[in-house]
Amino acid sequence: MNEYENPWLHRLKWTYLLIVVLTLMIPVLYVMYISFNANGFGANEYVFTLEWYGLILSDEILIGALRWTMTLAVVVTVIAVPMALLAAKYYKTADNKLFVVFLLLAPLFVPPDILGSALLVSFKNLNAVFIWVGNGLGTSMFDSWFRLSFMTATIGLIIYTIPYSFVVILITMGRYRNEQTEAARACGANGWRAFWDIEFPQIRAGVFSACAFTVILVFNEYTRTSLLKGGFDTFTTVLISQMLNTGMSAQSYAMSALISFVAIAVIGSIILITLIRAETLARIARGKPEPATS
Amino acid sequence: MTSALSNATGGVTPAKSVPLASRERLAYWAFRAPLIFMVLFFAIPMAMTVVFSVFERTMFWMEPGFTLQAYENFFFSARLTNFLNSMKYSLISVVICFILGFPIAVFVRKSIPLVAQHRVVLLFILPFMVSEIIRVFALRPVLQRNGLLNTTLTNLGIIDEPITALLYTHTGVVIGEVMSFLPFIIFSGFLAMEAVPKFIFEVCDDLGVGPWRRFKDVILPLAAPGIFAGSVFIFVNGLGVALLPNILGGAGAVNAGLIATQAISALDFPLAMAVSAIMMATLMTLLWIGHRLFDLTKILTPLS
Repeated sequence: MNEYENPWLHRLKWTYLLIVVLTLMIPVLYVMYISFNANGFGANEYVFTLEWYGLILSDEILIGALRWTMTLAVVVTVIAVPMALLAAKYYKTADNKLFVVFLLLAPLFVPPDILGSALLVSFKNLNAVFIWVGNGLGTSMFDSWFRLSFMTATIGLIIYTIPYSFVVILITMGRYRNEQTEAARACGANGWRAFWDIEFPQIRAGVFSACAFTVILVFNEYTRTSLLKGGFDTFTTVLISQMLNTGMSAQSYAMSALISFVAIAVIGSIILITLIRAETLARIARGKPEPATS
Repeated sequence: MTSALSNATGGVTPAKSVPLASRERLAYWAFRAPLIFMVLFFAIPMAMTVVFSVFERTMFWMEPGFTLQAYENFFFSARLTNFLNSMKYSLISVVICFILGFPIAVFVRKSIPLVAQHRVVLLFILPFMVSEIIRVFALRPVLQRNGLLNTTLTNLGIIDEPITALLYTHTGVVIGEVMSFLPFIIFSGFLAMEAVPKFIFEVCDDLGVGPWRRFKDVILPLAAPGIFAGSVFIFVNGLGVALLPNILGGAGAVNAGLIATQAISALDFPLAMAVSAIMMATLMTLLWIGHRLFDLTKILTPLS
């Protein structure tokens, strides 16, 4: 708070900020509340139960969908985060920064249905071209390269998640001084050693945050996945088809709440770890003597 | 770091020239691989929507040719009216998001100590990280006739009859857009306020300038690139996220995303591509105008 500001006005602004956060969270919190009610939404009597969660965990279709979702999340993370890291490192030294940043951030601005539709039609056309080439060469090995499948869903989700990882890693890299890499290289380290032993420990937090964001984004995503996935189902595609076909059932509330719990737990942990780490670093910094300046 | 440095030098063996050259080549391509991937699987498919949109529709797919049938289907039907209507409601959502969200960005930059600013902004990541589809669906039990909002207002004696205009109407879509995209104007506003140093507020206070004039003549011109980027994001997503009118809107609440997905369900792929091409043209035009007016590269300053 600055010296010009009225303390009551300052408190009022804080209250407003917290009300906005709470308002954004209310629908999700309300769904969580309903998911524990044995009588479901709109009932006069609230009876606490874990029955709906038990039903989810015993539903083989859902467990299968969960398995696909987790596999997709892991594969996308393993590919997208290193790609974002490479792109961020390239961006730092690139002459034409505008082109790099435009290409990597543009997917943020393209709505999911538009990106999904464009990729769907492109993949179907690409698949037709590959089959035609295969037929020309007398082989069927190209037939399923771009058929809607796990791979096409992975490509769509990489395009969707890479901007987030890129920004998170780039922000962390902003604190890294390139002179350290130059010093390492001057001492004889090759590029990989300079990166792995000097730079990576300092940007690790950003890379791990990018991994967590990517897993959550893939876990939550519906539109792009449903358009590009081919013959398997993810947790959200099962949930949404259930909601659109039969409306919100008690089980749908529990499924929605479960996804939200996972996301909040992961992001909440990151926020907590970040805060604790910042406090620890600040304490260590306070304990050190001031550097001598000549 | 010192130990890391000594480790780095200790374990290093001089590399031979040939492997070094191939390593350098590998590194050259590795750093460019993400860009190549994005060009192949993002830029080209988005650009190809224009080409596919003029293909001829067949029973289940499309074939190469040149026809403007898809554009006729879009511009000379109720789809255009729906699209223009969704533009109007998206614009309303942008204005509401700006009014509700931008003061938070200003407050965080102006009144919260530098070390705590990022932590406060992190609070808004929490709702954003819950699946958008869950958040939109979750609005139904909140906004419907016997939902949380109506029940609470009735219990408090504020209303006698439940408000039914909150769901399955354009109002419902606007509420959904604000609830979904509000964090983005806070994030972009927070980045934009990087261009407004704290001392500027003190200078304005010393001169006795009121909050409105300070906002209009000082903050707005300096933070314009970030505000514009956030607004474009909300506007374009309001036009393109089919889920919002699909779940919260009623009759007539149709946006470009919904037209595209309906076209795909009806196996009218050229129409879906025409809608995608129109959306991309809208987005590029907005970004071009923004860049001409405000130089959007200024937003990148904190990332450089």
